[in-house]
Amino acid sequence: MPQPSPSLPLRLRRGLVAQPVVMTGLAGALALVALALVGDAHIMMALLLAVPLAAVTYVQARRARGEAARLQAEVAETHVEVAEGTLSLPYTSVLNALPDPVMVISAHEPDDLTGRRFVMVNRAGRRILKIQREAGLLVTAIRDPDVLEVVDEALFGGLEGEAVYELGGTQERIFRAYARPLGVGADGGRLALVVLHDETDIRRVERMRADFLANASHELRTPLASLAGFIETLRGHARGDEGARDRFLAIMHVQAERMSRLIDDLMSLSRIELNEHVRPLEDVDLAAAVLDVLDALSPLARDKGVVLDADAPGRGQLIITGDRDQVIQVAQNLVDNALKYSAPGGHIRIRLESGLSAEACVAQRMDLAARLSLLTPDHGPERFAALSVMDAGPGMEREHLPRLTERFYRVEGQKSGEKLGTGLGLAIVKHIMNRHRGGLAVESRPAHGTVFTAYFPMAERRLDKTRDVHNVIQAS
Amino acid sequence: MNEHIVKAYEDELNMLTAECARMGGLTEAAVADALEAVVRRDQQVADSVVARDERLDVLQADIERKAIRMIALRQPLANDLRRTVAAMKIANNLERVGDLAKNIAKRTIVIIDSDPMVPLTRSIERMGRLVVTRLKEVLDAYTASDLERAMSVWSRDDEVDEHYNSLFRELLTYMMADPRTITACAHLLFVAKNLERIGDHATNIAEIIHYEITGDEAIATARPKTDDLQRP
Repeated sequence: MPQPSPSLPLRLRRGLVAQPVVMTGLAGALALVALALVGDAHIMMALLLAVPLAAVTYVQARRARGEAARLQAEVAETHVEVAEGTLSLPYTSVLNALPDPVMVISAHEPDDLTGRRFVMVNRAGRRILKIQREAGLLVTAIRDPDVLEVVDEALFGGLEGEAVYELGGTQERIFRAYARPLGVGADGGRLALVVLHDETDIRRVERMRADFLANASHELRTPLASLAGFIETLRGHARGDEGARDRFLAIMHVQAERMSRLIDDLMSLSRIELNEHVRPLEDVDLAAAVLDVLDALSPLARDKGVVLDADAPGRGQLIITGDRDQVIQVAQNLVDNALKYSAPGGHIRIRLESGLSAEACVAQRMDLAARLSLLTPDHGPERFAALSVMDAGPGMEREHLPRLTERFYRVEGQKSGEKLGTGLGLAIVKHIMNRHRGGLAVESRPAHGTVFTAYFPMAERRLDKTRDVHNVIQAS
Repeated sequence: MNEHIVKAYEDELNMLTAECARMGGLTEAAVADALEAVVRRDQQVADSVVARDERLDVLQADIERKAIRMIALRQPLANDLRRTVAAMKIANNLERVGDLAKNIAKRTIVIIDSDPMVPLTRSIERMGRLVVTRLKEVLDAYTASDLERAMSVWSRDDEVDEHYNSLFRELLTYMMADPRTITACAHLLFVAKNLERIGDHATNIAEIIHYEITGDEAIATARPKTDDLQRP
């Protein structure tokens, strides 16, 4: 770090402070004496005035000089502080504390591919690029040809460059990679700095705006057209018909409610998508969440004559890592869906299991059913808690299964009862599960029913406590 | 990995892995760009994918030559031999993936001529993203020598197949409903088929990684595979 010399600015400063005071003081005193000599004023008066002025000037000049000396000492002290601080700055900790991945690349020959190595990667870099080793080949960490190119330009061309770096995977992340030349290292190799700046949020907001407009305008058009039609009728030939008016208002009410549900769903979907790459970290009582949802939905089930049959551990016995509101939304959407497709007198089975491996979570739960994983978590050593909801509804053919989590996808020829769904419920579930690094699977057999299984990674420290603790609670 | 006494030998082995990784990066970019060309109807991107394919062919030939040279001169054994052979095989698979991406890009030119079919391109995009993710995961597993990650790609092969079957039906419905869309739909069908085959190559690479790390080829028979021919 360059050390600016403290003497130069201080000498300047002292000159600025002290000299004008002396000059003005002297000039004032001389002017008074001259005035007295030239004019006919009392010379004694002039001298009397001039003497204190000279004295004040002298004192001021001294004070200014003292001030400057103090400032000089102060500044010198600060410089020493900075210099000492620089020496003891914990560079490694600073780099590791940075939220953005930072890495230093070293290379010797332009055409030696194995020569390009990362010699330093901070903690964020290790986590995001999944690097375990201290140093290694650059291509094993970053393969993107555009990024490799800007790194090469920084290494061998001395040019600063940037490139968009998309990190695929289930939780897509988008970075801007900045490459900067760092000159030549101690071993004679060329060095370059690569910093990745996370632009996922910005990109997502852009995409969300576009998607929201496209979806909302398309899906809101239908109920809006119907509302407009009824308003026209009510203002026109049905103006005096009270029976028609009540009937139309009832339909308009249903349509308006549908529009508001749709907007709610679109908003919550957008919100979830926006944070999809940020894993929630609260502890959530999954058992309590599911039981609450069942309590809330039991009046609806009773009205429909559907039995909700829950097999879950008691409250406080199954803790997962997640976002409580979103976990509730998953349970709510799945059970709500099952209710929609159940015939009166039907039976819905809700099961909550814990300590399962990812494979066990997607195991067959319904005989002879077509089975598909709609979302598979990235590989990890985790254990999962699985919530499965099985209805005895009409079921679906296999070819519909891959598209179930598409927005507004509806299985042809199926009606979700009198209360039309928004077509977003399962899309919301999928995005929530992805945010939780969990999974979602479906099994279905026409004329027999459907099972949805959502599985969440369990909070690790509670694993042992929750295993094999089950009791059966009947909600009807 | 054991340290080799001859430094140049270890360097040569690393070089093979590094070149495969770089080739993987180029292939991934080619597939992702080909998909973007179809979805966004972008002729320019399609042209660039076609133009870049030659570089993949050169790289593949280069890796093969180096691997053969390695086997001839160094006579690697066990672990090292498997690493060398794996690099050669993976390069072959990647070269095929590159060809398929080029083929997708070429079809874009015809697809752009027809009217846009939004729901269809959406389905293609979903399937394509899945395939791109699998390719990325398997290459991550290769560079990190992570057997478990490779196996998780290998065991999820049927997801891509399901998407393909679903798309197949969707395309048939479209073609029956409006015969004017047949040309574009036929090309989209090949795009979907190409994507499905790229998914198969990703599975192949997972098997090669399994062989490279364990020396065992036995998994190839144990895969739970739904039978394509049973369904249209």
